Amino acid sequence: MSRLDEFLNEAKSTVRVADDHVAVQRLFLERGWSDGLPIVPPTAARVEAMLAYCDRPANAAIAAMAPRYGAVTPIRVAINAVMAGCEPEFFPVVLAAAEAMCDPAFNLYACQATTHPVAPLVIVNGPIAREIGMNARVNAFGPGNLANATIGRAIRLALINIGGGIPGAGDMATHGAPSKYSFCVAENEDENPWQPLHVERGYARGATTVTVIATEPPHNVNDHSSTTAEGILKLVAGTMRTTGNNDIYNYQDGTYPQPLLVFGPEHAQTVANGGLDKRDVRQYLFEHARVPLGAFSDEYIELRFRRKYPDAPLDTLIPIFKRPEDLMIAVIGGPGKHSVVMPTFGATQPITLALTRADGTLARSVLDFKKRS
Amino acid sequence: MNELILLVPEAPAPDAPAAVIEERGLLHAELRLGILDNSKANADHLLRMVAERVRADYAVKSLLTLRKSSVAMAARPEVIEQLANDCDLVFSAMAD
Repeated sequence: MSRLDEFLNEAKSTVRVADDHVAVQRLFLERGWSDGLPIVPPTAARVEAMLAYCDRPANAAIAAMAPRYGAVTPIRVAINAVMAGCEPEFFPVVLAAAEAMCDPAFNLYACQATTHPVAPLVIVNGPIAREIGMNARVNAFGPGNLANATIGRAIRLALINIGGGIPGAGDMATHGAPSKYSFCVAENEDENPWQPLHVERGYARGATTVTVIATEPPHNVNDHSSTTAEGILKLVAGTMRTTGNNDIYNYQDGTYPQPLLVFGPEHAQTVANGGLDKRDVRQYLFEHARVPLGAFSDEYIELRFRRKYPDAPLDTLIPIFKRPEDLMIAVIGGPGKHSVVMPTFGATQPITLALTRADGTLARSVLDFKKRS
Repeated sequence: MNELILLVPEAPAPDAPAAVIEERGLLHAELRLGILDNSKANADHLLRMVAERVRADYAVKSLLTLRKSSVAMAARPEVIEQLANDCDLVFSAMAD
């Protein structure tokens, strides 16, 4: 008996098309099921192979994905993972990331539907990131690595096909962003002088986690000159200090934006050599990454700031993030004197989820998912 | 040419009962009207104009206007509950 039997008996679960590359691509484009790039045809055999790395019930919903609130079932996610070109061993990461971004605190509804160019970034930590060959080093956000590229693309296809984030319908982004094709990296834990992201967020070092953060694409900090921690952080603060980002005003209802700072490993090492830990970095940037109120237009001040700063003069410095602990820090990338800052959508909270087997135990390897509970 | 059978990647929207005004008899009753201002600029003006237009054509018994604290966050449950309890018809969702 196939794990697909129940699904295949549902209405409209399959589509027939001529066994021809062009016909398949045209059909998926016409139906709005594609991101515009060629897809791998999701045959039953390929989806079955993907599900070999899933120990959960294949056709049971684990979440609902906004804004359409389509059911996130392993089968539906697997179909999108096949289309994206994922190897079956990548599937546990795809499924965990899809589940994580459906956490209500992530606010996927607004992240999908907004005019802002936000996309869910997936950062993978832990042994499975290395096992499946993810790239945390040179060009980590760029092309060239099958796992990074196809896991990120699978997430985008799921956001379109399960969540209904259809460009121009459920996704109303004014410009969109290249990160809406694929946005997935691993953290460079080997060259991180501090605790890796997942350990800092409460997980064991041996756990594999996905952390989803609704961010803009990277904003570069080019600093080939500074040789001290403060020198580098001064440049980082200058790059963070912008008027047109959501984080600076978007805090209410007890939630605070959590922008992401990604150090390149060389910058991270210079900062650590200066005796600074992540807490010191956060405190420095909390104090220095500020924009004077007068940098905003009169209308902007009235709409965004006057209720929060009723009598503030125009030289009042507004912090980019509201509490030092809200700055997320990761180390990603290869050699070179660059770091990147990544403002968020604002009204969103990052979510970290460990890869666990169906019985709740931590997965140490993708092979753990092949052992049925 | 041979045919392929491919699996559909799209998840349907969950079933939701459609609200049909005639079935609820609202056109023959005095409406309790609600406005949920999403807090974008000019939402209040536009929604007020919509409410006035409805008043011109239908008997409106009451008008409840509530505002989201953030355009990007869902309305708080107590806001939704109040609108559900006190209104027959609610207008919401606009952008500037």
